[in-house]
Amino acid sequence: MSVLITLEKVSKTFLTDEIETRAINEISLAIEQGEYVALSGQSGCGKSTLLSLLGLLDSPSTGQYTLAGKVVSTLTRNQRAEIRSKEIGFVFQSFNLISDLTVLENVMLPLTYQSGLTKKVIEDKANAVLEKVQMGHRKNHFPSQLSGGQQQRVAVARALVNDPKIILADEPTGNLDSTNAEAVLQLFEQLHREGATICMVTHDAASAQRASRRLEMFDGRLIKDSANQQQTTNNVQAIDVAVG
Amino acid sequence: MFTWLDFKYALRLLFNAPKFTAMTLGVLIGGLSISLFTFSFLYSTVYKPLPITDGDTAKAVAVFENGKYRYLRGFEYLQIKDSLSSLAEFGVYDNADVRVTVKQSGKNYIGSYVRAGFFEYSRTLPIIGRVINANDSVSGAVPVALISYDIWQNEYQGSDDVLNESIILNGEITDVIGVMPEGYRFPNTSKIWLPLSDEVLDATADNRGYFYGFARIKSGVNLAQAEQEMSQAVNQTYQHYAKLYDLPQLEKKVKLLTFQMAQTGNDGGIAFAFLMSVSMLILLLACINVGNLLLARSIERQKETAVRAALGAKTYRLVSQLMWEGIIIASVGGVLSVLLVGAALDYTEVAIHSWLPSGGSFWWHYGMDGVTLLMAVVFTLITILLSAFLPAWRSAHQDVNATLRDGTRGAQSKKSGRISRFLVTAQVFLVATLMLIGSISGYIAHKLINIEMGDDYQNVMSVRFTIPANKYPESQQQIALLQSLMSKLSQNPSLVGVISHNWIGESRVMLDGREYLSDDDKPLIDTVAIVGNTETIGIDLVAGRQFTHLDKIDRQKVAIISQSMAQRYWPGESVLGKHFSVNVNDKNEEVFIVGIVSNRMNPRSMFGKISDADEIYLSGLQFADPFQILLYKVLPNSQDADEIFYQAMFATDRNIEIVYAVQEASANRNKMRESMNLMSNITFGTGFFALLLAMVGIYGLTANSVAQRTHEVGIRRAVGATDQAILKMFLKQGAKQLIVGLGLALLLFSLISVVFHSFTEGIFPVYFYFTQAISVVVGLSVVVMFAIYMPSKRAVKMEPSTALRYE
Repeated sequence: MSVLITLEKVSKTFLTDEIETRAINEISLAIEQGEYVALSGQSGCGKSTLLSLLGLLDSPSTGQYTLAGKVVSTLTRNQRAEIRSKEIGFVFQSFNLISDLTVLENVMLPLTYQSGLTKKVIEDKANAVLEKVQMGHRKNHFPSQLSGGQQQRVAVARALVNDPKIILADEPTGNLDSTNAEAVLQLFEQLHREGATICMVTHDAASAQRASRRLEMFDGRLIKDSANQQQTTNNVQAIDVAVG
Repeated sequence: MFTWLDFKYALRLLFNAPKFTAMTLGVLIGGLSISLFTFSFLYSTVYKPLPITDGDTAKAVAVFENGKYRYLRGFEYLQIKDSLSSLAEFGVYDNADVRVTVKQSGKNYIGSYVRAGFFEYSRTLPIIGRVINANDSVSGAVPVALISYDIWQNEYQGSDDVLNESIILNGEITDVIGVMPEGYRFPNTSKIWLPLSDEVLDATADNRGYFYGFARIKSGVNLAQAEQEMSQAVNQTYQHYAKLYDLPQLEKKVKLLTFQMAQTGNDGGIAFAFLMSVSMLILLLACINVGNLLLARSIERQKETAVRAALGAKTYRLVSQLMWEGIIIASVGGVLSVLLVGAALDYTEVAIHSWLPSGGSFWWHYGMDGVTLLMAVVFTLITILLSAFLPAWRSAHQDVNATLRDGTRGAQSKKSGRISRFLVTAQVFLVATLMLIGSISGYIAHKLINIEMGDDYQNVMSVRFTIPANKYPESQQQIALLQSLMSKLSQNPSLVGVISHNWIGESRVMLDGREYLSDDDKPLIDTVAIVGNTETIGIDLVAGRQFTHLDKIDRQKVAIISQSMAQRYWPGESVLGKHFSVNVNDKNEEVFIVGIVSNRMNPRSMFGKISDADEIYLSGLQFADPFQILLYKVLPNSQDADEIFYQAMFATDRNIEIVYAVQEASANRNKMRESMNLMSNITFGTGFFALLLAMVGIYGLTANSVAQRTHEVGIRRAVGATDQAILKMFLKQGAKQLIVGLGLALLLFSLISVVFHSFTEGIFPVYFYFTQAISVVVGLSVVVMFAIYMPSKRAVKMEPSTALRYE
């Protein structure tokens, strides 16, 4: 497997009312293609900030970030936006669907920001991923007409529509009941099996347990980086079942 | 207790947001002040009861002849005055400039010729002496006059012995019989009152003289009954005299108007409604802006309101709590507007009375009064309703559950977004309408200020007068008097030239060798009868000759035409000696061209080029008229230039009736330019304020809308939208509102333009309306798009991670 993401001594500092807060403190990290990484830690430890940096929603104060072999920490806003529209998929805790757009339109959104795609291509792709998350039958509904679990499945579809190199999920099950949370986690596992790279922020130890690799943060630093034995076993079992 | 707490809380919020408070207050004071000032000014000018006892029952008599505003004729009054059962009081008067001679020079005062009962009608008696009675109007009576308090003070130093004094009025020694109280200038601006003689009133029926009428209706009779009775009586009398004297057929209708409304030719109501509509539009704009700013505040506090509701606050408590901010701002704005408008009205009072030579109508008193204060309260309440109550009501009726629940902010923002979009569209519509209407009046003002007249009034004096038809009934007699007067004027060593000038009007012309299917096909050309040399007033002779004393009534009728007419109808030809037919006083007259003069501005070429319309000059010795405008040019720096005329007039006939006293010929133009300048400034100022309001409003609305969508911007950015894509989204949305608002305004403007074009008989070319529309569309689009671009630009600068966390 090749390395998809490399962080070298990346820090992020916020300045509020002349008080400097270092949210990320010289983190170095590599994520390989096809990995399913769970990022956990206490509240305020910098998980979401790290995810924002990985998703190019923010830029690091110091250090270097390389995505798919390209240094992205010094890119302009528009260059970062272009990478987000083509190579990154986001899933948020609070779904973040646009209420004025239908389910289909929400899913189409990342592709509308790419140039050279026809409306038909965009619609076909969006319909395909909606079918994949079993939300095709609700494509003309508005987000407010869906349950929380359905909204999150739509959000996952939106994250998948641009065939991203990595899916970044920030507490994707945080706003869901256990049944819907389980469905979303199973969806992630399926995507992982299909080769997707996923980085998920989670509080929940059980959810973190289902990833292939587990990172733990404390006070802006990575304090633990371990392969997840249970997930490895599960994967082996899945392969055994597939081979028969 | 709770109210006090809410009030204190609202005050704290306002103090904590000084920029918001100042901006909201500024917008509101502007809107309220413009509306209040316009109302007070128009109300005082048009609707306020006359400041005399029983002023509310005083009516002016207007006679509409075939729908045109006119007055009573003397014979009509004499015939009907004793037969009307619906009137308690009824009389006539006439206004004229009166020359008061003091030693070798004189002064002009506006005077009224009145009859017995006039002063009783105005419920005012002299402070010294007596009023005019019936004997004073009898032919041969000793000339008498009442004078105003001002004249008494200025000319007689307030002497108690004034009744033993004489005064020279229009060259005639006149006994002063009374002094009217201070401030009395009834019926309008008069300062001297003389008897209206029976002889003048009882002139022959073909006398053109009109008289102003006044009346009071008997109690128990309504206005319509009185008007109907008077209309019947006037019509019957006129029809009778029309047969006797071969007068034109006219349908007459009498209306009893207030003196103020009569002054505006019964159009005061239209002007009042139009100007009030414009100022109310500005107030509405201000209310929309303030309402939106308050709405934005209430949306910011939506969660707080939801928490209060969840804790058990009833709707009325929520509404009242949210309204306090608006109530405080509107109330403070109302009070400050009253103070501002009070000062502006006081200034207007001083400015108008010092600017107008007559001091303006006696009822024109501007200042803060009860009605204006009452209207200030009404406007403030309207403002509170529109800008405080409605946003508070809306905010208090939110979906509490949805607001408190996480992740569903969209449901609320969708509704707010719709309101914001509607408000921006409404703003664009209102401002575009104001600007389009304003552009017409601004253009008129600009045109009139910079108009090229085609003449030269430097050192030229003018006077308007009527030759008394009862004394000089024949045309020959009138011409002889005019010639005598002009001859006496010419003897003065300071005189350079003199010309009499009688504007006949637009006449139908038939050119030789051309066929006309109907009268409407014949060209309409401005026609003026003159005696004297046109070069006196800077209209140069281009070819041929000027009129001479030989161009008189029994000779071949002659004409001088303008260059534009010669070029239009006989291009490349020599026109001297050619003839055409012109319709004057319903009679076709064949005239021969003896001269060509330079072009002159006339009403039909006012809004185009000076050569757009033509002029025909006829010899005043062949087309006589009792009404004349005399223009005479004096040497530069001549002293007492006005006295030159009066000396000549008194030497000719002191009974010549001065309609407008001697003044510099350019005085009226200068006044017109000054008033147009004022109008232009007011229009520009109002338009600018409206545009400023729109900018502030649209900026505020867009900023609010963008702020509400910050989270959405974050999502879009997260999925890859570039800065340009986000900006484009906001600008596209703004453009949609702009197009709808402008479209509606242009639709309304088209309707107004069609009506205006027809009403002004095509005074502006059609392309003018298109030009105005394009200018407003381009100007407003730039301003609106700029107002949308600025907050949008700021919003996209936010990092997506920050935007996603935005609450």
